[in-house]
Amino acid sequence: MRIEYVRNKEGSNIGKIVIDRDLCIGVASCVSVDPEMFKLDDEHKVIVINPDLTDDQLITMAAQSCPTQAIILFDKTGKQIFP
Amino acid sequence: MNFKYLIIGGGVAGTSAAESIKTTDPAGSIAIVNDENYVLYSKVMLSKPNYFLDKIGSEKAFLKTPEWYQQQGIVFLGGKVATALDPKTKTITLNDGPIRNEATDSQANQIFNGASQQIQYEKLLLALGSTPRKWPVKGADKAGVFSLRTIDDYKEIKEGLKTTKSAVIVGGGFIGFEMCDILRTFGLPVTMIIREPHFWDPILDPISGRMVTEAIDKGGAKVMLNSEVDEVLGTEKVENVKLKDGTTIPCDLIIIGIGNFCQMDWLKNSGLEVNRGILANEYLETNLPDVWTAGDSSEYSDVILEEKVQLGNWVNAQVQGKTAGLNMAGKKIPFKLVSSYNTSGFGINIAFVGDVGIKPDRIIVERDEPIEKSHVRLLIQYGELVGATAINGMDELTTISKLIEKDTKVIGLEPDLANPNFDLKTLLPKT
Repeated sequence: MRIEYVRNKEGSNIGKIVIDRDLCIGVASCVSVDPEMFKLDDEHKVIVINPDLTDDQLITMAAQSCPTQAIILFDKTGKQIFP
Repeated sequence: MNFKYLIIGGGVAGTSAAESIKTTDPAGSIAIVNDENYVLYSKVMLSKPNYFLDKIGSEKAFLKTPEWYQQQGIVFLGGKVATALDPKTKTITLNDGPIRNEATDSQANQIFNGASQQIQYEKLLLALGSTPRKWPVKGADKAGVFSLRTIDDYKEIKEGLKTTKSAVIVGGGFIGFEMCDILRTFGLPVTMIIREPHFWDPILDPISGRMVTEAIDKGGAKVMLNSEVDEVLGTEKVENVKLKDGTTIPCDLIIIGIGNFCQMDWLKNSGLEVNRGILANEYLETNLPDVWTAGDSSEYSDVILEEKVQLGNWVNAQVQGKTAGLNMAGKKIPFKLVSSYNTSGFGINIAFVGDVGIKPDRIIVERDEPIEKSHVRLLIQYGELVGATAINGMDELTTISKLIEKDTKVIGLEPDLANPNFDLKTLLPKT
């Protein structure tokens, strides 16, 4: 199951953050990189706290740190930019 | 040649360190020496079904691109092995193997030019990772016997699977469990040989171990407990394993998952203090000046557990790398994290949080469901939670992590903790 979070932050190149809950194994590497954006829910899977917070670089680093690549980033045009 | 920051180990610890150094000291020169000739990839992914079954492209294991290192101004020296550390001259000696570098080939060749084999550092990080323990069994060198630690191991196993008719897995741990699940999805007959009386003894208790074993049984693999391989039989390639009780099991592929160790022989004459890992304080500083350690290789002073701890999981390595990098660049930040790891397969989930080692001064409280759908064990030391193991207990992991992190006192609360209907969240400090 995928959960999509639309990002409307002004000046951001990231338009959408998608969490693939089937891939997420709750390692929480993204939480350690960007704790304002990501947290673990009661199923020990990652959720986005508020997609309009923090900067693009931090979100990208958090996505890159995920060992199962469960965080997928899209730009404002809908093009996948990571992974 | 010299670098301000030299990092031995290009895994997640070393790479996170380089990343955090760049945020603090962008002008400082950095080099990463990596024994594998690959940029950072996910070792976690290697034993995941989606990856093995090609549902995810093989390139997806790579978390960085060669261009990333160049863009960051990080020199990546792949395929080079550190062989000596001289802390007096602040020099690392590398082996004289050929430089095969997919990331920054031109940079590497300029630096070494095929001759120089020593690098001087101002600050050094030893993020050495860990290596599969050698399987001390006669015939273990035959073709078809694998361990799984690197992407090359993964490729070899995948290639071997093309002709495999039946497989044996040795060892009851995460790798054995995950690979057993994968091999079953390939439809192969699989036998797991486990020396201990139950799965992952002594980290898991007999009830947890039995739940895992039953799930594997239901998944169609055979688990043999209290069993040990005496010899691998076959001409050049494995054909059978002979157990110590004389049983012979035909197989043409064996996967070994009996644990890892930190390869530190090359540091023997450096004066570095080591135990099972490289000893470090809470800032991940070793006893040698300007030398830090991070990841699987560090045996550090844990500020939450107040003891020396060595862990081998992804987020531990990542956050330690980040902390060590920041400290190398001039900060003074203690490493503090309650790390967890979990895996799913055969319709069951196995999870560890915090420190799950069995020690004499620890008590264990079991949160039992009456019908044993889940089994959560809480490890308590000096009146505080220090760790937990959970079978199908994912919904409580986040709360347990927080309770450990907040040093929550649970003395006298054991009856509540043992009651599966007691909500652990009520113990969290009010914010």
